[in-house]
Amino acid sequence: MGCGRVGSAVAGRLDREGHEVIVIDIDPSQFHRLPADFHGQKLAGSGFDHRLLLSAGIEQADAFLALTHGDNRNVLASQIAKHLYGVERVVTRLYDPFRAELFQRLGLRTFSPTDVGAELAYSALASE
Amino acid sequence: MYIIVVGGGAVGSGLARELIASPDHEVVLIEESGARANELRAELGEMVVHGDGTEVVVLGAAGAGRADLLIAVTADDGRNLVACEVGKHWFHIARTIARVDDQRNEGLFRMLGIDATVSAAAAVLAQLETSLPEHTVVPLMRLQGSGLEVVDLHVQEGSDAAGKAIRDLQLPRQTVISLVIGLDGAPRIPSGDTVLQNGDELIAVIAQGAESELRRLFATPLAPESDAVERGG
Repeated sequence: MGCGRVGSAVAGRLDREGHEVIVIDIDPSQFHRLPADFHGQKLAGSGFDHRLLLSAGIEQADAFLALTHGDNRNVLASQIAKHLYGVERVVTRLYDPFRAELFQRLGLRTFSPTDVGAELAYSALASE
Repeated sequence: MYIIVVGGGAVGSGLARELIASPDHEVVLIEESGARANELRAELGEMVVHGDGTEVVVLGAAGAGRADLLIAVTADDGRNLVACEVGKHWFHIARTIARVDDQRNEGLFRMLGIDATVSAAAAVLAQLETSLPEHTVVPLMRLQGSGLEVVDLHVQEGSDAAGKAIRDLQLPRQTVISLVIGLDGAPRIPSGDTVLQNGDELIAVIAQGAESELRRLFATPLAPESDAVERGG
């Protein structure tokens, strides 16, 4: 869910690895970011629209990744996927490091680009 | 009680106004839009905090660490859910209440430990129903956890229920008629022998989902279909 720079890159990579990938984005113009040889399905709509999720086969999905720019949207969609539809691996992007820590504790696999970015900026400065 | 309200729209600001009227409550209202927060601060004063009420830092500054209750009533289910979860699991606020607009999320919210949910759509619907002249069953309150709800019933002319004693009615399982208000406006606690009259109003506890069965008992039956054109069409 979320076909921005990160979402499209991850989707392209998983697709190349041979996984069956479905990309959801509220804005279908974002699908241009996907690689030209992307085999997966593209669905325009909201990642917490239950009807859309069901039509995407959420109940059979092995993994769900919420990678939009909205922390709360990502959390809602992730918890719907995990708790209502039983998806086992749920990855959630959270800009806010505190919420990333909290929802990691609550069972989501979270990461915070803020933490990662700060770390990279610091190492770039420190490296000779 | 120390209460944090997240979301300063019509619902949140109305709620905050109600709550501060009680001297027992200390209330903080968190609103994300700066312009709206200024507007609210002009009316309600320092209790209005400008910020994102789903953020740990903002909630912390609003005193979430000592709050007894958090109520999230923005127009966004995701925000409301996250505000409550942060309140509950980060700040250990004893009670959290969320507004839920998409009814399919209600179960999720409860599964995730949100203590109560309120649905604007359901409330509007209930109000509309009471305004309809022919209403028979109006949901008043859901009793969460038990699968029961409190409803207002109207005995209509010619219905199955009119003129019958309560014990002779084929009520759906778990239905308890707790109060009968006659046309004279006097409330009475009914017994099995109480005979229901046209126009009586009843307050009852019923199983969620039993509305349509009750409607059949209490509504004026539809005129028999004698019109051949209608039947044929």
